[in-house]
Amino acid sequence: MPEQAIKDKTAIAGIGWTAFTRNSGVRTLTLAAEASLKAIADAGLKVQDIDGVVSYFHKRPESKEVAELAQMLGLKHCNFQIYSDGGGGWNCAAVFSAAMLVHAGVCKNVLVFKAQNRYSEGRAARSERAHDVSGPDQFTVPFGQHHAAAHFGPHATAHMARYGTTSIDFAHLAVTERSHAMLNKKAMMRKPMTIEEHQASRWIIYPFRLFDCCQETDGAVALVVTSAERARDLKHAPVYIMAGVGGVSETSGWWETNGVNSAPKLYEGAGIAPRDVSLAEIYDPFTFMCMTHLEDLGQVPKGEIGPWVRAGNNRLDGALPVNTHGGLLSEGHIAGLNHFIEAVQQLRPEGVVDDLCTGPHTYDRATCRQVRDPKIALLCGECVDSAMLLRKA
Amino acid sequence: MMNAYAKPLPRTDVDSQPFWDGCKQHELRAQQCNDCQRFRWPPQAFCPGCYSWNFAWTRLAETGKVVTFVVVHYAAVAAFQPDLPYVVAHIAIDGTDGHVQLISNVIDCPWEEVKVGMAVRAVFEDVTPEMTLAKFRPA
Repeated sequence: MPEQAIKDKTAIAGIGWTAFTRNSGVRTLTLAAEASLKAIADAGLKVQDIDGVVSYFHKRPESKEVAELAQMLGLKHCNFQIYSDGGGGWNCAAVFSAAMLVHAGVCKNVLVFKAQNRYSEGRAARSERAHDVSGPDQFTVPFGQHHAAAHFGPHATAHMARYGTTSIDFAHLAVTERSHAMLNKKAMMRKPMTIEEHQASRWIIYPFRLFDCCQETDGAVALVVTSAERARDLKHAPVYIMAGVGGVSETSGWWETNGVNSAPKLYEGAGIAPRDVSLAEIYDPFTFMCMTHLEDLGQVPKGEIGPWVRAGNNRLDGALPVNTHGGLLSEGHIAGLNHFIEAVQQLRPEGVVDDLCTGPHTYDRATCRQVRDPKIALLCGECVDSAMLLRKA
Repeated sequence: MMNAYAKPLPRTDVDSQPFWDGCKQHELRAQQCNDCQRFRWPPQAFCPGCYSWNFAWTRLAETGKVVTFVVVHYAAVAAFQPDLPYVVAHIAIDGTDGHVQLISNVIDCPWEEVKVGMAVRAVFEDVTPEMTLAKFRPA
């Protein structure tokens, strides 16, 4: 596959986020609007410059969110809206859909958002979902497969049996991500974590312990995608969209994900090699999922992620910094769209704005989470059902 | 009524009904393509291998291997609380070339002893007068 025609033709021009909490006290759409208005302002655009809106949901829509947000914002010229059922696999696909709408000339400035009251309202909803017994759920729910950890745990168990990966390997990933979150003012979990604390945490669903599981978050993030040309005249330096993928194909076993299918097309689409990536913001609802994603994206040889993580390659000064904000595990779970907020911050000339250092970045890991001179960021959603490469201007 | 079955029951559909009817008869059944002989799961109207719409429901072996599994220590549904911890496994049914992988419980076995590759045999639980669930125990 040659380079994608869309390569470097679009950019992320604005980002916005709300506080990440366990009880927002407001409607999901209010969160969506807050993050969206901040993203539009961050881009230096006016609300009426937005002419496309994209979001996504898992399994059940919150409401007619996209249409309702467009109405709340009073958009006068909304040319296209997408609200997809792709769940956590669709974070990159959402951004790439916006880019395609811009590249196709359908829209000029597309708003992408993800908003949820997943902690305060989601727990009740999940219990209700556990009673879905039609379609594919008729073969799982009656046998007690209800929790996301039960859906993704089988990947981990199979990898452990095939490659000897262990719970202690998972612990190293959790501890490193926590160390990144400690440098992130908006992260939900900022207490230090040790390997021993991880190992002492209770089983939720084997092979996942409590500290293998991500946060559940009330909050929202949003971003604005526009053409590369327009982005160059806006407030911030553009962060260019190099390439994206967003389709799902069969794999040969539980020990791997769709990344083995999609990653080669992603790198070819961007005209780069896996080693050209400077940092990775990887979907991590459970420790192990981040680990298999890194392998399946070609960043670590298959089966070697355990030693790779134990060696600290994923730290801020490691060979490939991973989830520099703390990820879903420690920053919060905004369905992986929060990973874009981090990637864009890391790739802007001024760098991250919500770490603990003031003034120029010091790279002192007691206060600063800015990666040294990153050029290309790799992002993915659940099972690498979608993925994207971004680059610094 | 005392001891009413409190857990969620499958909502069958036109594609899956013969499978559940098979469980009721204490048989495992799956669709097999009449043209390329491939088994398939979950039930669907045509073969994902050769796209033929001709198929038959075939009785399967009652034995299989654990492909992968989890152990549930946290019940999202209260009715499962008394069973904790319980095993949810993906089980490849023998003789289906790995194309029929059922999700079910491995019972009568401490969870620490469940292993990938373990041989298991179906056991049929008549959970209500209308519904039977196929579960598995070490073979």
